[in-house]
Amino acid sequence: MLILLYALVFGMLVPLKPGIEGLSKSVLKTGMTNSFQVNTYNTIYSGDENQEAYLKIDSVHFLKATQVEVLSNRQSTITFDLPSLPGTDSLKYATLLITDQENGTIVYPEGIVIKETGTDSNSSWSTLENGPTLYKKTGFLFPYRNLLVESIRNTFYHIPLWFAMFILFFAAMILNIKYLVKKKLDDDHKASSLIYAGILMGILGLITGSLWAKDTWGAYWTSDVKLNMSAISMMIYLAYWILRSSIEDIDKKARLSSTYSIFAFFTIVPLIFVIPRITDSLHPGNGGNPALGGEDMDHTMRMVFYPAIIGFTLLGVWIAQIILRLKRVREKWFLKMMD
Amino acid sequence: MKLSRIYSLILKDIKTELRDKYAIGAIILYVITSTFIVYKSFQTVTVMAWNVLFWIIFLFAALSALVKSFAQESKSQYLYYYQVAHPGEIIIAKIIYNVLMLLIVSLILYFVLVVFTINPVVDLNLFFLSIFLGAIGVSTCFTFVASILSTQNNQSTMMAILSLPLIIPILLLLIKLSGNALGILQDTSYNSDLLLLVGIDSILFGVAVIIFPVVWRS
Repeated sequence: MLILLYALVFGMLVPLKPGIEGLSKSVLKTGMTNSFQVNTYNTIYSGDENQEAYLKIDSVHFLKATQVEVLSNRQSTITFDLPSLPGTDSLKYATLLITDQENGTIVYPEGIVIKETGTDSNSSWSTLENGPTLYKKTGFLFPYRNLLVESIRNTFYHIPLWFAMFILFFAAMILNIKYLVKKKLDDDHKASSLIYAGILMGILGLITGSLWAKDTWGAYWTSDVKLNMSAISMMIYLAYWILRSSIEDIDKKARLSSTYSIFAFFTIVPLIFVIPRITDSLHPGNGGNPALGGEDMDHTMRMVFYPAIIGFTLLGVWIAQIILRLKRVREKWFLKMMD
Repeated sequence: MKLSRIYSLILKDIKTELRDKYAIGAIILYVITSTFIVYKSFQTVTVMAWNVLFWIIFLFAALSALVKSFAQESKSQYLYYYQVAHPGEIIIAKIIYNVLMLLIVSLILYFVLVVFTINPVVDLNLFFLSIFLGAIGVSTCFTFVASILSTQNNQSTMMAILSLPLIIPILLLLIKLSGNALGILQDTSYNSDLLLLVGIDSILFGVAVIIFPVVWRS
């Protein structure tokens, strides 16, 4: 419970790193002075920082802004004097960097298009040897990602819920095999309680994912593979629940539902792990979207993410234990009634 | 486990099926009737709809055909099989027999659909390959679920509830594969889908053979 509390509190309270929300103009032309407004996120400008802004077009060439004017905490105007593009390209994507000592460096990756007009200007591209000094913001902060923004926090609830569901189902399958080998009815009680807790986790996972999708993709339900596959696995396990409640005889119930659950587990493995890997998905991590790896999941997030997995799994086990105790009591009561 | 015993169990199944012809006749009639309904209600069937209709009719024909794969013989007969044969042999024989039956049903369905509507198949080999793999997957899954339910009363409802979700991944892959065969999808990487289908089929087959003895004892 403590781990879960930790994940909930830190997952919600830790602020995001500063970032850039959007620009007033995203196409710049060479050979003239371009100025545009930048909307930044979570930045604090008191006025005496020396902001510097840079445009970076490849690993070597960058350009320093001629003027950075702060309008408010979240708005500033940046002016670039753009020279002709190096090379022969007529279009180039550029990355905007704004850096100062207080807020660190914020990046707008490849969000600007530079159009070659043929005219040059007084300034020129610098090369990386005398590159800019980039400041780093210190402190416990989550990374800022365009599109995801604050909803990046859903990583701590939505994904661990699926992890927990799968771990619970896996444990249930092991217990089912144990039941079939040893024929102890208590194993089946344990397995079915775990599966019920797993179904609960899965439904919560669907709900959190759905709310997040409404915010990020614009709809509660899309035809994305992962959504449909998880819906199918929910259906399979709900069918398990119906199968159990349709059989009267306790031993028969245990035996048949155990076999069905083992079979079901092996069908959801390709559903969850294989099919989403070979098809494109809207989910972060697929089709060029940010995800768990690399820069997108940094150490600050891992510090909350892994405990969250453990916490939700333990919560599932705890729920399963409550169901299990209820079952044991019912069985005792039933046996008493028989006497 | 002996191949000859599996072979004779399959022969036994075929003979029982041929003895009372109404079961296979009912399935064929079901296929023809539903195709006719499709033909009358759609007027012109597009290739996309043809693909989906083929698999939907196939699925429900298989569902009604395979529900009774363990229900058509009496309890004493099963006691006899239990003594003479290994349970693994029985489930393998049943699955192979059901695959054969599904292949016949799907051939008839293909023929009838082509006669009544259109023949959109471009790549015949791929189409029959997907039918073959689909028949194995569907037959394994449905036979297993039918064996779980063999002693139950409300078989056909429970069969639909338990086996349809299990079959969805196979069905989605099949629709994609046969979409390639019909030329509506230009997917060059269908080989990985084929491999995945073979993988799912063999996993289900293995699991079914391993845990069937437990069910069989009842």
